[in-house]
Amino acid sequence: MKSAREIVSFIGGAALRAWRSLRDVGTWSPLLVGQMRRLGVDSIPIALFIAVFTGIVLALLSSYIFTGTVPNYFVGALVGKTIMLELGPVLTGMALAGRVGANIAAEIGTMKVTEQVDALETLAYDPGSYLVVPRVLAATVMFPVVTALAIGVGVLTGWFTAINLLDLTTLEFVKGLRMFYQFKDLWFGLIKAASFGLVVALTGCLRGLATQNGAEGVGRETTRAVVIGCEAILALDAFWALVLL
Amino acid sequence: MKRTSEFSVGLVIVIAVVALVVAGLWLGQVGPRGPKTLQVALFRTVGGVKVGDPVVLRGVKVGRVEAIRLAKDDWVETDLRMTSPDELPPNPIAIAASASLFGEWQVAVMDSSRVPNDPELARALVEARHNASGRMPGATLPDVGQLTAQASRIASDIAVVTNRVSSAFDSQSIVDIRSSVRDLRKMADRLVNFTQAQTTALDSVVNNASTSSTSIVSASKHLQATLERVDSSTASGELSALVKDARAATADIRSASSDFKSLASSANSQRDNLTHILTATDVVLTRLEKGQGTLGMMSRDSTLYLEMTKTVVQLRSLLADVQANPRRYFRFSVF
Repeated sequence: MKSAREIVSFIGGAALRAWRSLRDVGTWSPLLVGQMRRLGVDSIPIALFIAVFTGIVLALLSSYIFTGTVPNYFVGALVGKTIMLELGPVLTGMALAGRVGANIAAEIGTMKVTEQVDALETLAYDPGSYLVVPRVLAATVMFPVVTALAIGVGVLTGWFTAINLLDLTTLEFVKGLRMFYQFKDLWFGLIKAASFGLVVALTGCLRGLATQNGAEGVGRETTRAVVIGCEAILALDAFWALVLL
Repeated sequence: MKRTSEFSVGLVIVIAVVALVVAGLWLGQVGPRGPKTLQVALFRTVGGVKVGDPVVLRGVKVGRVEAIRLAKDDWVETDLRMTSPDELPPNPIAIAASASLFGEWQVAVMDSSRVPNDPELARALVEARHNASGRMPGATLPDVGQLTAQASRIASDIAVVTNRVSSAFDSQSIVDIRSSVRDLRKMADRLVNFTQAQTTALDSVVNNASTSSTSIVSASKHLQATLERVDSSTASGELSALVKDARAATADIRSASSDFKSLASSANSQRDNLTHILTATDVVLTRLEKGQGTLGMMSRDSTLYLEMTKTVVQLRSLLADVQANPRRYFRFSVF
């Protein structure tokens, strides 16, 4: 009973601190754009790299699967649906979990072990407002943006592969792409990406703030942040599939 | 540095948003394409139709399914957002059907006079029209799964029949069939022999027919000569004399016929009398044969005959005795 009370108290305290940090707009707003560039724009190359090869492999795999009675234009349907609904958000999220989650955890963890966080508090800065909120908001906003670009590039490379390496025309690919398309396919992937960004950045921040024992602790918490971020992405993926599909 | 960050972030966000909007509109094939109309179709069931599925008119995509909702009394209402409202037929109906073998569905809008020849579909449309009240009546064709299941059942039935046929044609049946074939072959041989024999007879018949034909030709020549003679007789007036003689002969024949009729009538009465006599005689003879009546009894029993014979013998001895000894039997006296 006591532990339950403690848990509720912890949740309440965390919520209050988060609310206080969010209200401190003057502290986090100047840092937001910089974090968006670092976490989002700078992550575009790795996201697009993954998307390019995902599109190629999907087109080849679908042409390998769809033989015999299944028409070729289903390559377009499979590439579009798979990238928009699943592979685009999840693979991008996993890649960014490695890059962004590790970046955040290592940065804040280093600040923690070098007592820079304590210095911020000494200077009357709320570490939540100064370190956590801009990173979490930036990741939540930029993950869908990066994912949207990755989806577009993945579909384009799938189309390019289909018309160059497979016996498929642009019209057939587009027919398959449009055949099962629903508007939900797009926003479903973007909502997932936003939730992935939120969880990855929050995990990185929390693990960074929990860092102890110097450089060894930084490495340990960075690893934990990446692992927990990836696990959270997979869990959220299943959750959204249950809730939204 | 800060300005560079703002520009790069803004550029990426703008590119992503524009790409999303353009891709969404392009993939969904939506956009300002003239006036649109919202038609509500009433279905008993929509099958596999989902929101976003195409609506086609004469095979051309003219819209999409905008909403599907349950309605009262086990009906389903479907909102069809369509362009080209002027092209709608006067009595539109909606047919939900599979668009391909792979689970895609569509709603086809057509005039009620062009309904496919399907009794179940027609019944569903009549029912929907009865409850439509301003909405478009709709019906659903069976999907590929149902058709496949039906085909599977038919295939199973065929397999059962095949198995039965297979079991019917077991080894014994094959032996019987072979025996029947052998018998048939023998019969065919006999038929060949018979046909050959009949061919000979037929040749003979044909020859006879040829001979008969020759005779007929000869007879026809005679007949022609006769007719020519008749023709010549007609020309000299002999025929009218013949007709007169024939007329007189006919009158004589009529008179004779009348006499014959009276004679026949008399003969009929004599026959009736004779029949009556024969019937009576038959009755008497029947009774005589059965031993009925005096004559019958006499004819069947010899006792009377023997008694009569004895009586006659005794009468003769009595008569002799009377002749020999009259006084024993007769006495005369005057006083």
